[in-house]
Amino acid sequence: MSELLDFWWEWLPSLLNGLAVSVAVTAVSLALGIPLGLILALAVQSKKTAPRTIALVAVEIGRGAPALILLQFTYFGLPNAGLALSSFASASLALAWCTGAYTSEIIRAGLEAVPHGQKEAASAIGLSGWDALRYVILPQGLRVSIPPLFGFSILMLQASSLCFAIALPELVSQAYIIGSNTFRYMSILLLAGLLYAVICIPATMAVSALERRLGQHAH
Amino acid sequence: MTLDILQAIAAGIPWTLALTAVALVIGAALGQPLCAMRFSRWSAVRFLASALILTFRSIPPIVWLFFIFFGFGSGYLQISPFQAAAAGLGLITAANMAEIYRGALAAIHPGQWEAAFALNLLPRHRFLDVIGPQLLRVALPSGATYAIGLLKDSAISSTIGVSEIAFQAYHTSQRTFHSLDVYAIAGLLYILISLPMASLARWIDIKLRARVAR
Amino acid sequence: MSGSPAHESPGMLQEAATEPLLRLEAIHKRFGAFEALSGIDLQVRTREVVAIIGPSGSGKSTLLRCINQLEPPTSGRVVLAGVALEAGQEPSRDALMRLRRSVGMVFQSFNLFPHLTVLRNVSLAQERVMGRRRKDADEISMQLLSRVGLADKASQYPGRCSGGQQQRIAIARALALDPQLMLFDEPTSSLDPELGLEVLAVMRELAENGMTMIVVTHEMHFAESVSDRVIIMADGRIVEEGESAQVMRNPTTERAKRFLHAVNDR
Repeated sequence: MSELLDFWWEWLPSLLNGLAVSVAVTAVSLALGIPLGLILALAVQSKKTAPRTIALVAVEIGRGAPALILLQFTYFGLPNAGLALSSFASASLALAWCTGAYTSEIIRAGLEAVPHGQKEAASAIGLSGWDALRYVILPQGLRVSIPPLFGFSILMLQASSLCFAIALPELVSQAYIIGSNTFRYMSILLLAGLLYAVICIPATMAVSALERRLGQHAH
Repeated sequence: MTLDILQAIAAGIPWTLALTAVALVIGAALGQPLCAMRFSRWSAVRFLASALILTFRSIPPIVWLFFIFFGFGSGYLQISPFQAAAAGLGLITAANMAEIYRGALAAIHPGQWEAAFALNLLPRHRFLDVIGPQLLRVALPSGATYAIGLLKDSAISSTIGVSEIAFQAYHTSQRTFHSLDVYAIAGLLYILISLPMASLARWIDIKLRARVAR
Repeated sequence: MSGSPAHESPGMLQEAATEPLLRLEAIHKRFGAFEALSGIDLQVRTREVVAIIGPSGSGKSTLLRCINQLEPPTSGRVVLAGVALEAGQEPSRDALMRLRRSVGMVFQSFNLFPHLTVLRNVSLAQERVMGRRRKDADEISMQLLSRVGLADKASQYPGRCSGGQQQRIAIARALALDPQLMLFDEPTSSLDPELGLEVLAVMRELAENGMTMIVVTHEMHFAESVSDRVIIMADGRIVEEGESAQVMRNPTTERAKRFLHAVNDR
């Protein structure tokens, strides 16, 4: 047992470096993807055909294709079309697309949860469509979306593990390299799994608690 | 050229479908005792179940797959990529299914349990005739959504060498350098396969709705 | 427009000569195959208070919502203060905005904005629609809240107010844009009888101060005592119309008699 702990202690710094990259790419993807999700959520409801169709296609592909394929498409495929990005940039782009697609559904559901009377009252007092959205609908709708968005963010951190396949030096990549050098795959993967668990388990419990609290204050 | 690419990638379809199906069956089956443990009289059992479910869902699938294939596989057992992937995805599915079952049980009106008790039905009959069908009806939409997610997660098994769609795509792209086309086709293939799955789920849902009213 | 000639006074004759504030011409509203309004003609003069009563499903609320275009009519014409809106034509943004500013609406479920303070609820439209500065808007909001007796609730959130208080705040919010016409869609139907009284008191005060009002309501006493005219609707049509006391006590049509019987002889 103590031998295992020594092993872990020796390789923990490398894994933590990897974890830092995982967290960084997740953060960038969310920062790009969630605003994209809001735009897509509004665009799919547009009355104009062009934005609606583009948004629908973006969402269907972002949600329908495996994240791994999106990653490989961006990293290996885009260079064919003349756009060669680093693995971090490719990962951010692909995961942002994925995030935007999934969160557009989450946000859309949140906006629909706003009582219809709110939209009517906003219209009746003469607020323009944009003002109604900005001052009345979005503040209420986004509030409903917060717990599922947090939950999704946790899933995104896990999805960052797929960036192994596009040579991003994140946590799983580091673990794999250490494993292939020391042949102690089990031990190092155990530690890697532990690192994910230590973040995701409390985070998941926090989201459940948040859901309960927000549910209590519902009107 | 595109046709060659399509043929090469399509060779992975049977593996994708097989892996998804096997993981789903394992998960749907194991999810039941796991869910039942959540309602045990003993708090230790309840805690164990919650801990297992939370752990399976909090660690990325690729780590589980690597752990089983490289971890177990490199010393303890001789395990094929497909077996490792099926086991890993199956366990994760079991954890998710346990949660889906739990949600479905909670959604069944308490009056149903009371009525079944009042009618003096045996536990076996209570479950098979009263609760079971309603459980299925409520769990199906979430289950179907999860199954489509599992189809996409099966792509992860390419990293440990299962010859499914993503694996074929990777090797075809390395071979032909037409990476853009290759991955676009692969992505499209997953989307196309998920469409009949969604339709099937809707069809079963309609059938169940007709037989089992809410 | 109908009205018993015997009740016309010199003042009313003068007003009858001028253009009515609101004119509805041949309003039809269809939802798919269902005809909710089957040809409504209505005129409302300035300072008049009209009560609309009738069984559920008679189209009362739909009619109100056709006036401020929350539901655009399928056919017909709405003329408000000289501005005409034809059904079937998409109204210009400008025309719609002017209409919404001239008409205030109070809903059965209040529809206050729960994430904004009471003061902000009343000030928001003033700032965004009328372009008032925040300080000016807040000042006017406070005046309106005082008028409905709720100045002390200004910094609270609607969730902490009773139903009656929320509805009074909703009235203040509707008044904030200086409307020429106020529409009330069953304002007290969601309230306990006691809480309803405070709302009716505010509406009575509005009427006495000369606001033009159309009120869809089940409050028969209010309809008779506060309104000038009562309209009874059933099955998407106006079945009886006239001076309030006349309609409520001596209805002439069978349908109206049947409704009032059901209401009065319970």
